[in-house]
Amino acid sequence: MNKLVKSLSLLLSLCLLLSAVPAVFAESDEVVDANLTCTLTLGNWPPDTAAQAEKDLFEGYKATMAKQYPNVTLVPDYYSYSLSNYVPMAKGGTAPSIFQPPFTDPQLLISQHLVGDVTDALKQFGVLDKFSPSYVEMLADENGRIYGLPRDGYVLGMHLNLDLFRQAGLVDDEGLPIYPKTLQEMAEYGKIIKEKTGKAGLVFPASETYGGWLFTNIAWNFGCVGESALEYQDEDGRWVCNFTSPECVAAMEFMRDLRWKYDILNVDATTTDWASAHTLLGTGEAAMNFAADDSVDQPTSNKGLPVEDFALIPFPAGDAGRYALAGGTCYMFAPNITADQGIALMAYLKVIGKLPFLDDQIIAGMRADYAAKRDRGAPVLPAISAWTDEEYNAAKQAIIDEYCNVDMRLYNDFFDSINEGTITLKSEEPVFAQQLYRELTAVIQRMITREGADVNKALRQAEESFQEYLDDEINDI
Amino acid sequence: MSQSAKRVRSHAKRSESFKSWLIMLPGLVLMTFFVWEPLFESIRMSLYKTRNVELVRFIGLDNFVSVVGKDDFMQALLNTFSYTFWSLLLGFALPVILAMLIGETRRGKGFFRTAVYLPNMLPGLAVIILWSAFFSGEKSGVFNIILMRLGIPAQTYLTHADWVIPIIILIATWKGAGATALIYMAGMAGVSPELYEAAAIDGATVWHRIIHILLPSIRKLAGTLLILQIISVFQIMYEPMVLTKGGPDNASLSLMQLMWQYAFGGSMNYGKASAVAVIVTLILLVMTAIYSYFNRKESDWD
Repeated sequence: MNKLVKSLSLLLSLCLLLSAVPAVFAESDEVVDANLTCTLTLGNWPPDTAAQAEKDLFEGYKATMAKQYPNVTLVPDYYSYSLSNYVPMAKGGTAPSIFQPPFTDPQLLISQHLVGDVTDALKQFGVLDKFSPSYVEMLADENGRIYGLPRDGYVLGMHLNLDLFRQAGLVDDEGLPIYPKTLQEMAEYGKIIKEKTGKAGLVFPASETYGGWLFTNIAWNFGCVGESALEYQDEDGRWVCNFTSPECVAAMEFMRDLRWKYDILNVDATTTDWASAHTLLGTGEAAMNFAADDSVDQPTSNKGLPVEDFALIPFPAGDAGRYALAGGTCYMFAPNITADQGIALMAYLKVIGKLPFLDDQIIAGMRADYAAKRDRGAPVLPAISAWTDEEYNAAKQAIIDEYCNVDMRLYNDFFDSINEGTITLKSEEPVFAQQLYRELTAVIQRMITREGADVNKALRQAEESFQEYLDDEINDI
Repeated sequence: MSQSAKRVRSHAKRSESFKSWLIMLPGLVLMTFFVWEPLFESIRMSLYKTRNVELVRFIGLDNFVSVVGKDDFMQALLNTFSYTFWSLLLGFALPVILAMLIGETRRGKGFFRTAVYLPNMLPGLAVIILWSAFFSGEKSGVFNIILMRLGIPAQTYLTHADWVIPIIILIATWKGAGATALIYMAGMAGVSPELYEAAAIDGATVWHRIIHILLPSIRKLAGTLLILQIISVFQIMYEPMVLTKGGPDNASLSLMQLMWQYAFGGSMNYGKASAVAVIVTLILLVMTAIYSYFNRKESDWD
């Protein structure tokens, strides 16, 4: 377990940084391999409704691939991954050669034999030793075979609507937000904001699995780690659900208090999802939102909140410390890919700048990518690479600094907490995270819709239900 | 009849039969491929431990035992009956009333017919999203805007466990009642005008005409539509999935939504999902059988 936690922490630190490996295409006319012959279907191809610049970028990738690998045929596919539609496609042989699942799903897909092995192709491109061992753990099976590559990562923190903070008087002499360092302060500041502005102090998306997903972060800060973790493996290797620990009960009582004692939550929390949470913050209906560095464009450029009214802060600490989730998105591959397709896929990832290689075109592509981000009003922020190549990482950071469009005082604490290690980064709960989130979301919904709901009883029921699920799915009881 | 005439007749009969089968063939092939095969496959899958859509090993009724033993199944079952109850309460009589009102209309009948059917032409998801703006608990929610104009504080709607099913049924009724009303209107059009004339001569009021002529005339049609409504409501899924995601605290979770969750909600347990589907089918079969039994008895009495 300790090993797992350590490696997850390591993963998180790397994962964070990864978010902006930029889109690039090299305009090299040089043929790299004329003998490589295969067809690739490329998921997440920009649809017709995408911005012209984005469509041009991908057409550029295609043209470059055509020059470098003339016998590799690229077939654009608009497919966007979701677990519910991927399974029938994978079983029916129609899954695209490459697609992009979140880090919650690789182990499930690997265990169900629904993704392709690219270990040999990675070795051939010389990048296997350049990405973190933690990624290997997340994207490999028990035999060390690798089925994916990291695309980008994030760390969960908190988005702030500074306009509401100003209206509530929660700013210092320099106009910087007096923001909550602890969960307790978050509740208190939220109450002040609600009283002074009439807007929700905190938007909490408590629908489907979102509520449980965010709650795990709160629970960690209340001490649901190590021996009190929400799920763990006992000495016999059996996975055990542990929702009824005193730490988890305290965390859930805090959740209940956010609604009934402090009354800081948005009114329709049980029907709010990730996207609508960003909308509420971006449109000034809520002051705080648990969200990550990879989604700063959601409330700003997408929902119209000016970047000067936006800040990103570290996840508030609890009595047991300060923890935050680090996650991200990866590239995975169809289960039936051939060796040649594996090599062609790595070539494609290299062309689009997702492998740690640098040349003039890649650097130009990075610049174009960050310039576009800045032009559409999205914050250009520091990013951390998952790759260990120092030269590559330094070049990327220099470009980000060049295009940075925000007052970094509104972000420094977030990034410093990661770089200086004052926050402990954690990966998602190790097994069947989505099901765990679903169980916890139902408990949260009960807590915030029924005053006086019995926390212990609700958590015990959820624990029994999830334990049965674990026994059935993984403990083989 | 001579032997040759018999032969000719038999040949003609066989030829006719062959043609009939030929006409039915495309339908039968499609039914087999799209209905019966998935149905039997689903039953088979419910008896196996599965790894995504692969059958791993036969486990008998274990999936059923596991599914039925869980709190969320009982909650979903009760909710589904609750959906049915509210649907009958809010949605069964309304189409009859609409049909009667439109039937009695002297001018603009075509307009009203189109008007009541219009919501049925809207895409289902669009209807849900539209109504979610009305029932939003935010101050920007349409109902809350109206309430606040009247000096009443804004309310929350979809976060109340007791309200959520009636609200969903209200929306479903808004969308579907017009289509059912058209069917009733067709049924009412078949009532002989002579009966009304005779009633008028006898001095019957409108109310008497409705009670003694109209309603008895559409009783069988209403029975059929009743069972169709129950079957339809029992399969309710996308409305709660989009509007409330089954919440709060599973208060609007339906059996079909539970089935979806087993298959696609993160666990990929197609065996258990199939078990839920089979259970729903069995419940509906029992209901249909009960209806058919009483319907037959009634026909016998007639």
